[in-house]
Amino acid sequence: MSAATLAWRRDVALAAHQVRYEQRSFWRNRRRSISNIAFPLMFLVVFGGLQHGERIGARHDLPFIDFYVPGIVAYSIMVLAFGNLAIAVAAARTNGLLKRLRPTPLPDWAYVVGIVGSTLLAVAIASALLLAIGVAGYGAHLRLATLPGLLLTAVLGTVAFATLAIGISARISSPDSAAPLLAIVTLPMSFISDVFFPLTGAPHWLTDVARSLPLRPLADGLAAAFDPRTHGAGLQGADLRTLAIWCIIGGVMMVRSLGALSARD
Amino acid sequence: MDHAIDVCDLHKSYGTVEAVRGVSFAVPPGAVFCLLGPNGAGKTTTTEILEGHRLPTRGRVRVLGHDPARGQRALRERVGVVLQSCGIQDDLTVGELLEMYGRYYRRPRPAAEVVELVELRASLATRAAALSGGQRRRLDLALALVGDPDLLFLDEPTTGFDPHARRQAWSTIRSLCSLGKTVFLTTHFMDEAQSLADQVAVMVAGRVVACGSPQTLGGRDALPTEIRFRLPDGVGLGSLPALPGAALSREGAAVLVTTGQGVLATQALTAWALERGVSLAGFTVAQPTLEDVYLALTGGVW
Repeated sequence: MSAATLAWRRDVALAAHQVRYEQRSFWRNRRRSISNIAFPLMFLVVFGGLQHGERIGARHDLPFIDFYVPGIVAYSIMVLAFGNLAIAVAAARTNGLLKRLRPTPLPDWAYVVGIVGSTLLAVAIASALLLAIGVAGYGAHLRLATLPGLLLTAVLGTVAFATLAIGISARISSPDSAAPLLAIVTLPMSFISDVFFPLTGAPHWLTDVARSLPLRPLADGLAAAFDPRTHGAGLQGADLRTLAIWCIIGGVMMVRSLGALSARD
Repeated sequence: MDHAIDVCDLHKSYGTVEAVRGVSFAVPPGAVFCLLGPNGAGKTTTTEILEGHRLPTRGRVRVLGHDPARGQRALRERVGVVLQSCGIQDDLTVGELLEMYGRYYRRPRPAAEVVELVELRASLATRAAALSGGQRRRLDLALALVGDPDLLFLDEPTTGFDPHARRQAWSTIRSLCSLGKTVFLTTHFMDEAQSLADQVAVMVAGRVVACGSPQTLGGRDALPTEIRFRLPDGVGLGSLPALPGAALSREGAAVLVTTGQGVLATQALTAWALERGVSLAGFTVAQPTLEDVYLALTGGVW
């Protein structure tokens, strides 16, 4: 094996270890893991209990729980991959962790793979919990045939939010001010994106705005897995396309911010 | 042999402000080099250029033969950096952090060895968040050492330490030198420079105004010796023996003898005191301290 191949293998192993340590940090930090995992779970339990057995007339009599479960999974992905990550990276920048890492041989990309990979794992665990409670506890109808669509949507949504989070974290001057600042973005987006309640009778332009942002396509893409009218593998072309575009935008913002994070003037 | 650090005519400007104005120095491998200077002298800027955090405006910088501005991994493999107050993964333990950072390097030093070196063995299972301030500084040092670097940058490594912890840190740094490491140190403490450094450079207003060993810096070894003592009541300066080339003066209750012939003057004074049965209370012989020299060089702001 050539030296370059060996070095490459070593770096891939290094990135995998970064994922492992980031995961350990995340689950050990009660404040992070509880606020980011427990809140969406609580929403599911409260909403699921309140609207138990009801149906949405405007959505072909879809049971409410089949609307809530994917909606709250989408919300949970946004919380974990966007808010949580933006604050964590902003903190790493302002408290000097990035400054500590910079003179080490750890490549920038391995650090990014570590935090994004760890976020994907946290999303997988949180989503599995939400889906399990939704299906086992409230009788949500998850169609197994649509699992490929569900997975692809969740991964694209997570990557889109995570890269956007890293991208904007360079602009957050203090992690303490980040939470309310991020809420200004995430809360209104949640209200127009079919995650807490179906947006019926909204003006077209508002729906269009929501569809062009990342949360609504994520929620819609996931909702397809619970919709009896969905055929095939549940791959929602339009939603996946929008999410892919956000992945590209996020990726560009992230790469630019990494330059800014290790600014050499 | 090539120098570990070679700086030639280094300049750095921020807009119209010239922070570094033509600095040159060289650090031989295995030496402890100490950069001294008041705040705003350009120490931090110079150090950050050496660490690759900043680009020089002009001049040539080589660290272990590399241009630090290019940030090559081959260089990062061989350099350890301890910055002041840097964040860390607070929820991981000392042992986990050493394992994690050790993986970044091709030939890491075993964690067990590193904790021994910085005396953190008892804290291996402690989370970083739960460490005391001093332990946290030692962890910073441990993480800089885990890659077994050839060159170590220490930015005010003992600021905030109690006297005992400082002595401990010094002995750790000395043991690094015995391992053949080159150490680049910045500090505010003269005794730290005096005790650790092979070479000291004093920076003032962006320039190196003096460079040398702590013993010879600023011509310290050529400066007159100062002898101080108190005379008993009734014994005046006039009764002292003749001390050729010495200047006598009063310093409060004490007598100050300033002389280029320290040994001769000491011998003459003590012989005189024994002969007359006069006690010379508080008798001391001293070179001007590094601090005296430093204050003279930096304009003596007290």
